[in-house]
Amino acid sequence: MAEQAVAAEKKKRSSDDYSYVGMVFHRLTRHKLAMAGAVMLILMMLFVFVGPLVWRADPNEQIPGLEGMFNPPSQAHPLGTDDYGRDVLARMFFGGRISLFIGFISAVSATLIGAFIGLLAGYYGGWADNLLMRFTDAMLSIPTFPLLIALASVMGKGMWQIIMVIVVFGWMSDARLVRGLALSLKEQEYVEAARAIGASANRIMWRHLFPNTLAVLIVSTTIGIGSSIIYEASISFLGFGIQAPLASWGNMLQNAQQFIWNAPRLIVYPGLAIFITVLGFNFFGDGLRDAIDPKLKL
Amino acid sequence: MRDYVIRRVLGMIPLILIVMIVAFAIFSLVPNPFAALIENPRIKKADIERLIKAWGFDLPWYLRFFKWFSGVIKGDWGPSLLYPGSSARDVIARALPVTIRVMGIEFLLSLLIALPIGIISAVKQYSVTDYVVTVFSFLGMSMPTFWFGLMMMMLFSVFLKRPSGAPLLPAGGIMTPGLEEAPFWTRFVDQLQYLVMPVLVLAFSSVGSWTRYMRSSMLEVVRQDYIRTARAKGVPERLVINKHALRNALIPIVTLVALSVPGIVGGASITEKIFNIPGMGSLIIAAETKSDYPTAMVGLMLTSVLVIVFNLIADIVYAWVDPRIKYS
Amino acid sequence: MDNREVLVDVKNLRTFFYTEDGVVPAVDGLDLTIHRGEIVGLVGESGCGKSVTALSIMRLIPNPPGKIISGEIIFHGENLLKKSEEEMRLIRGDKISMIFQEPMTSLNPVFTVGDQISEAITLHQKTDEAEARKRTVEMLHLVGIPEPERRYRQYPHELSGGMRQRVMIAMALSSNPDLLISDEATTALDVTIQAQILDLMRGLQKKLGMAILIITHNLAVVAEMAETIAIAYAGKIVENASAREIFKSPRHPYTYGLLQSIPKFAERRTNEPLPAIEGMVPSPYHMPNGCRFNPRCPFATEKCRAEEPELVELTPGHLVRCFHPIEP
Repeated sequence: MAEQAVAAEKKKRSSDDYSYVGMVFHRLTRHKLAMAGAVMLILMMLFVFVGPLVWRADPNEQIPGLEGMFNPPSQAHPLGTDDYGRDVLARMFFGGRISLFIGFISAVSATLIGAFIGLLAGYYGGWADNLLMRFTDAMLSIPTFPLLIALASVMGKGMWQIIMVIVVFGWMSDARLVRGLALSLKEQEYVEAARAIGASANRIMWRHLFPNTLAVLIVSTTIGIGSSIIYEASISFLGFGIQAPLASWGNMLQNAQQFIWNAPRLIVYPGLAIFITVLGFNFFGDGLRDAIDPKLKL
Repeated sequence: MRDYVIRRVLGMIPLILIVMIVAFAIFSLVPNPFAALIENPRIKKADIERLIKAWGFDLPWYLRFFKWFSGVIKGDWGPSLLYPGSSARDVIARALPVTIRVMGIEFLLSLLIALPIGIISAVKQYSVTDYVVTVFSFLGMSMPTFWFGLMMMMLFSVFLKRPSGAPLLPAGGIMTPGLEEAPFWTRFVDQLQYLVMPVLVLAFSSVGSWTRYMRSSMLEVVRQDYIRTARAKGVPERLVINKHALRNALIPIVTLVALSVPGIVGGASITEKIFNIPGMGSLIIAAETKSDYPTAMVGLMLTSVLVIVFNLIADIVYAWVDPRIKYS
Repeated sequence: MDNREVLVDVKNLRTFFYTEDGVVPAVDGLDLTIHRGEIVGLVGESGCGKSVTALSIMRLIPNPPGKIISGEIIFHGENLLKKSEEEMRLIRGDKISMIFQEPMTSLNPVFTVGDQISEAITLHQKTDEAEARKRTVEMLHLVGIPEPERRYRQYPHELSGGMRQRVMIAMALSSNPDLLISDEATTALDVTIQAQILDLMRGLQKKLGMAILIITHNLAVVAEMAETIAIAYAGKIVENASAREIFKSPRHPYTYGLLQSIPKFAERRTNEPLPAIEGMVPSPYHMPNGCRFNPRCPFATEKCRAEEPELVELTPGHLVRCFHPIEP
């Protein structure tokens, strides 16, 4: 009898969950900008992941000699060739993969680290909160970009180093966000009830508080992917990021300023790709936030 | 009030210490900061030895930190390695006015454009105007500034030419060489042309985010009950928005403005680099990449300290504009 | 009682909201009459359209998404729905005033309460600042706020909920309106404060002679105050009679249910659950056919499910919208 009741309750809960997700999805599909963003992102994904299956070219193969360089778009090279005589379209595919991968991994890691620190600070309060938030404030007050460069120049120039650099300076806003949520959530009855029946702090944090911050964190990660892609591109543009021969949209622009006179299209493609992708993430993230809770401040 | 400020100022000290340690730690990770100098044939070996000693690189890191720390406190920021013969302080003093001019103009221009647009966009929520403004804000916020800078350069310095064949706008720098002694208005017009592109590029993205901030703050306020109260007592719509709503909506904006002021000093590294502007942003990047650690550390530290100071100013301004906040 | 002059006559009012999920007929053919100096209670569950009726009379329906589709609101012999926005603005806060549910959020946090009241005065009366100030202090005194001179300079957050609602009342009455609309004005307050505010409103009504429309979900609130009570359900009036009649011999099953669900201390036995009306308020997107109350009505018949009853006068002054009214 009791088990039946529990099962019924569970069933109810899951159908409630479904209706919440369903409602968010429904609102999302009616959000014009979010849909525009989704279309942009899907097109970009197709371009980056399906593109290489259609256009099979080696992004690193160089056509030797002067005649291979700066070729205009042609049958053999739909987007022409770059300063090393490499196929630009192929580099756009593989560079895009790198940029998207870095953006995704660093945004997710930054969010998780921020959530962890925010949960600790919000749940424990007191000196732990003070210490962690002072640290967060200090990190926030250091101008990000010069330090990104400094750290990148110190840590080396591999992909994982870049990801680490972006994460080190990307977790603070999530920490503040989650701390605020945790502060208000821990006052709620069900958390008090969990504490009353002797649930451990760890359990309360991860089983009760964390799931309730997920919706907000998904939004912040979505927008975070966009800004991580811009960070990667900026670092690589200055020459501290992804190193040739590996391509990223950022490092394809690295020497671009010199080509402004003779091959301006080399500047247009990668930048446009970054722009559309970031715009897509921003549109979609904004729509997601509106769909989850229009009053949410992020 | 006084107690509050004193307490906050005292609270800044550990923050500044952390920032200094972080700045120092990052540069301490470099195995040999003098490697670049050794490769430079114009610098004598003995000079490098002297620098290593002066910077305490023969000491363990904690002693080196104290050496640097006491120097910074005393105002001795060390020599610039990038510009031999100048001190780090001179180098920064040269870059600062350049950055403040570009960033200051950009900052004021952005606010002047963005705040009214944000208000209109919020008041006419869901209108065509609002949609256009929203889309443009997102375009600005998603634009990689370095790419936008290059595109602008392509447009104004490569494709668009004056009848004389010269580019419509100069591609980089801050003034035409040789005009240093020209009459004021000639210099003014000349330097203005150099400002157009960097200011536009930076403003495009910051107008985007300021518009979003203003819009969402205003939207938050116009659905408050007290706005309905104002309408219910017969306040004309113009005053409902410009007095009752705006006064509330500006509270968070004023704080954000105060928090953004340090950015004016820190400069915009990439835009400065692209447009070849000798300001703080490009100086710090150059100092970092060319191993001019005294300049880089001090530059970083200065901007960080400014951020901390303006955090305090923002809080004080916040308490000043919002009667609900008490200093306690 | 009906030979008094009619002040407000709402006829067949329809106010719809056009949301993303469909059209919400919040008010759908509502009739209501308020006489000069009369206290009328408009009672119903949340979502029955009572607040929307009040906002429609004020012409403060947010558009979009809301819109007054049809009907008439005759005030002093003129249709308010035909008035221009500017004409309407001059009526709001002058001839018709309104106070709201949330005293915590209904006052603008950044202006002193004195400024907010004197703003209402200067908007509608030709007075200078000193005069308005004097009048404000008088009003604060009138609504029973001690030390009005000092309170004048205080901000809303410095006052308690009950005090704030008194400020709202002072503001609403500062221009001697003919009609005061109180939209759940005591709901958010403690029970003792609630009684004080109701007493105050009744006292002021005797002194100033305005009509009051009290909107509430709580029959007990209007029991002692209102002369006439209108019961609203799903956007329509289902019963309208003198307060005595409503309490003594309710004719509509819904009214009967509402009365049953008021706890009566003397009569209740401990184990007996409080009778509640079965079922839920119908979804505004899917109004039932026929009588809107039929799915919850114990007496519903085929006729109720097919046809919608009209509001008919069963006995003089007692209007009921039901095919099977309860016999007295």
